[in-house]
Amino acid sequence: MGADTSQYAQQARAALATVAPEPGSRKPDAILVADAIRRRFGGIVAVDVDHVEVQRHSITALIGPNGAGKTTLFNLLSGFDEPNEGTWTFEGRTLDKVVAHRTAQLGMVRTFQLTKSLTKLSVIENMKLGATGQRGERWWNGMLPFTWRSQEAAIEARADELLHRFKLDHMRNEYAGTLSGGQRKLLEMARALMTGPTMVMLDEPMAGVNPALKQSLNQHIRGLRDEGMTVLFVEHDMDMVHDISDWVIVMAEGRLIAEGTPDQISRNQAVIDAYLGAHQGKSLMEDA
Amino acid sequence: MKHLSRRLALAVLGCAAAGACLLPAGSAQAATCDGPGIRALVNDQSTGKKDPLEGVKVTVADAAGTPLGDAVTDAKGVALVCIAEKVDLTVTLDTSTLPEGKALAEGDETLTIVAANFKTNIKTVSYFTGEAVRSTEGYWDRLFDAIVNGIRLGIVIAICSVGLSLIFGTTGLTNFAHGELVTFGGIIAYAFSVGLGWPFLPSALATVVLGGLLGLALDWGMWARLRRRGVGLISQMVVSVGLSIVMLNVFLMYFGNATKRYTAWNKQTASSFGPVDITQRDLVAGIVSLVALVAVALTLQKTRLGKATRAVSDNPELASSTGIDSQKIIRIVWFLGGSLAALGGVVRGLDEGVKGDMGANLLFLMFAGITLGGLGSAYGALVGGFVIGVFVEVSTMGIPVLPDIPWFEWISNGVPTELKTVPALAILILILLFRPQGILGRKERVG
Amino acid sequence: MDWGLILELTLKAFFGLDAVVFIIAALGLNVQFGYAGLLNFGQAAFMAAGAYGLGMSVNYWGVSWWWGVAFGFAYAAVLAVIVGVPTLRLRADYLAIVTIALAELVRLIVRSVTHKEKFGGTDGLKGFAAGFQDLSPVDAPGNAYGLGPLQTSGLMRIALFAFWVLVALAVGIAIDRLRGRRTGRAGINWVLAAGAGAVVFAVLMALFPRFDYLGTDLWVLIVGWGIVAVCALYVWALMRSPWGRVLKGIREDEDAVRSLGKNVFGYKMSALVIGAVIGMLAGVINALRTSNVQPDNFSRALTFYVLTALVLGGVATVTGSIVGPMAYWALLAFTDVFLSEVSDDTGRLAVGGITLLENASARGQFRLVLVGVGLIMLMVFRPQGLFGNRKEMALDGR
Repeated sequence: MGADTSQYAQQARAALATVAPEPGSRKPDAILVADAIRRRFGGIVAVDVDHVEVQRHSITALIGPNGAGKTTLFNLLSGFDEPNEGTWTFEGRTLDKVVAHRTAQLGMVRTFQLTKSLTKLSVIENMKLGATGQRGERWWNGMLPFTWRSQEAAIEARADELLHRFKLDHMRNEYAGTLSGGQRKLLEMARALMTGPTMVMLDEPMAGVNPALKQSLNQHIRGLRDEGMTVLFVEHDMDMVHDISDWVIVMAEGRLIAEGTPDQISRNQAVIDAYLGAHQGKSLMEDA
Repeated sequence: MKHLSRRLALAVLGCAAAGACLLPAGSAQAATCDGPGIRALVNDQSTGKKDPLEGVKVTVADAAGTPLGDAVTDAKGVALVCIAEKVDLTVTLDTSTLPEGKALAEGDETLTIVAANFKTNIKTVSYFTGEAVRSTEGYWDRLFDAIVNGIRLGIVIAICSVGLSLIFGTTGLTNFAHGELVTFGGIIAYAFSVGLGWPFLPSALATVVLGGLLGLALDWGMWARLRRRGVGLISQMVVSVGLSIVMLNVFLMYFGNATKRYTAWNKQTASSFGPVDITQRDLVAGIVSLVALVAVALTLQKTRLGKATRAVSDNPELASSTGIDSQKIIRIVWFLGGSLAALGGVVRGLDEGVKGDMGANLLFLMFAGITLGGLGSAYGALVGGFVIGVFVEVSTMGIPVLPDIPWFEWISNGVPTELKTVPALAILILILLFRPQGILGRKERVG
Repeated sequence: MDWGLILELTLKAFFGLDAVVFIIAALGLNVQFGYAGLLNFGQAAFMAAGAYGLGMSVNYWGVSWWWGVAFGFAYAAVLAVIVGVPTLRLRADYLAIVTIALAELVRLIVRSVTHKEKFGGTDGLKGFAAGFQDLSPVDAPGNAYGLGPLQTSGLMRIALFAFWVLVALAVGIAIDRLRGRRTGRAGINWVLAAGAGAVVFAVLMALFPRFDYLGTDLWVLIVGWGIVAVCALYVWALMRSPWGRVLKGIREDEDAVRSLGKNVFGYKMSALVIGAVIGMLAGVINALRTSNVQPDNFSRALTFYVLTALVLGGVATVTGSIVGPMAYWALLAFTDVFLSEVSDDTGRLAVGGITLLENASARGQFRLVLVGVGLIMLMVFRPQGLFGNRKEMALDGR
């Protein structure tokens, strides 16, 4: 944990140290605030969250046993699914009834559990697709290259820079479909950054990534926060959660059952019980 | 005048839909030409039915006005003029030869025929005299008839769509060749009952079995292989389009595109059941299809197999994780779908005659039905298909108490018979706009 | 058997108006199906919009045929929006279902007796292309114009020559691209393309003195190929632009594109409308060629044939949507002439006493059976068609 010495990291940790470690607790500087979110599938209540806040400039982990409703909550917050009821705000802006692409335009961008690299586009095309406000993306401009060529060059330069940072530059002109699972995760994260987000939501960034890449993914996620972005991520890898998160939110059966710093959570009896129930005897952070 | 032409349209199309007026069953062996020819039909419609007019002279001339030949109508009101080749030409009726007091109901005595439109060997043109008299029945009688027709159509669509919907539910495939499975049924039953001279019910039974085997064969020979190869659903859909092209044209090659009727029960003797006059043919068709519908519904509801089928259709992944052999279920669904479609074809053939594209023409109504009911839901297909069938027929009635509104006359007058399927598209669009999961579907299935 | 005739008619079909109409329709369909992954099974309806827009301009509204093209635009765009709004937010099948229904109902409405005064019923509309033919530079529209000894004079002679040079060059480019696809080379080798074009041209000139078109047809053909060029260039430019990139992204995974802040619905809708309007132009050319539009020209099956031609050439490539229809019609013509050459005078085809095909109409249906079989085989065994990128297709399995 020694690496988190950036200004944002220290600010976030200091602020969160004052927060009570209980479900639904208030944060000093919340970027995302959600109230009374419910989502039912048929008769099953998949998500039932009374109140949750995410601290600005922090790395917040969302954990919980399988079927806890983490991904559903992600889908709801990012506009990919509609709740039966509930309201939430992002940077003070109400987001319920806002469609997914608007949410992304407002600076809240997400990735997916099963990576969605666009396999038949090259890596660089994938990256350039991420840039927002492109003049050439209007169909009447599409056939007039002079209206977008200069902007395209700038976007390409930025994309190359990010590819370099994520060590994908050697794959630049390959089809994204030829990348390995871990590389796809990196590409998806880099592509999300092309939108210039203020908050990044990562759905299981470590799933299917080999251990060598995990370390560098960790570094990249820290890098996001250190550049001033807020990160909310769903993860099963407790090692990683403990390692990089400033704050942990725990869900089980659709509800929030605990919140706190990683250390507080690893001692939390409710969390251990929830995991025991689900994992039949495996202790929560057995590697931690 | 506008009103008149609309009524005329109804009269003409009504008889075209019945399929009997262009090729009268009894007089099919009438005079014909070795080469192309023009057959003019001259009838009087002032009594509400068609009375042939004899002795009317009809002249055929080419585009330049050079006469190519003429003829006088016989007792059946038919005049045949043979010509050497298919060119642009005009057909003129000599109004002075019309019987005393008769005048053409609509349009000119001269009709123009474009060579490009001269598809069949003999081109038929129709003349009518006298103002068409609307059926003398009252509104309620006609509404009753429309509802009865609607129920007949609805049953056929319901039967045919169950398979379509279950195939979609279990495999994800939207089968654009399902209409051809219906036609297959119609044609095979024709081959057995007319071609081989079997009694009708055994023919129908054999047809249903063969239809099921065809479904099974298609799954075994094609769809199962495509699924194993991992061919995407969109590609599979395009493959089903290819299959429909192949089947349709094979039917047209070997069966032709003329409407043919089963000879069984061709003489319709109506028996009265209280207020309803019903022919034996309709009675058999109705009973058979109702029994089939109830049997399918009960099978799906009560038997283990039916429950497993619905489970796979609802959620294939979940079902296979509970130990159901989904490939086996899919084979059963194809058998069921094929045999039900064939049955639908037989019943439709009894109602409207057998034609190479009879099923293709029903396909869109089936889609409307299963969308209304909820894609992938078997009961939804039953209910949705039935509702669409009834709606299509009843839409021709209109609500006469409302005033005629320009552009919206169809609300008060009813949709013209020839356009009665148009409201089904409107329904399809409205459902997709407001309740894409259909009336019986669950929301999670969409999107 | 007259192999010269078979070859001549096959080649004529290769460059002919049927191919032109299909190319334009396929370019539109390619924008929707190939690039955006939208299953439009009702391209026939949009083609009908163009044809009827043209026909109605003169016969119903009584204005110049130029207006007809504008009507066609409006009809096609409105129809596209009507089918797009309810379906583009849903699974891909719904668009297919609604468009196939639309095509069928448009045909029913235009052939209906109820609307005969507007659309002309089953006879359709005719005699609206006089204004178009007045613009023709062809000296004597009734004459035949061909490759052999150039029967024309002056400007027309140069135009005709230039037209054939361009056609030959286009074929040359296509041959070069076909090679390029095989070797995985991008871009066009102009030397090779021009060389192949020159060979094609020389062969045409030497072999087919009879290779000619009626003056009226030639004019439609020239305008048709002009529209092909413009549309192809437009689609090509669009698909190289960021707009095309978004569209291809949507085809791959629309949620991914949505998560990057793109209005997926809007992009799909504009792709649908652009494809519809291009398809509309195919209808216009088809109507101009005979100065005649009939409802049954726009049957439900028409879309499927265009789709087959497109898949034959290769989806998501501009070259594919041009060469696919040309090859499609050449193959159809070849089959037809070949079968009719081996049939007897009554059109019956028998082998060893067994009748295979009864008459000419069975022959036509047999061709369509082959079309269907071809479509199935292509989708299963060669989804990239003649020009699609094999490397790209190999990614599907992952």
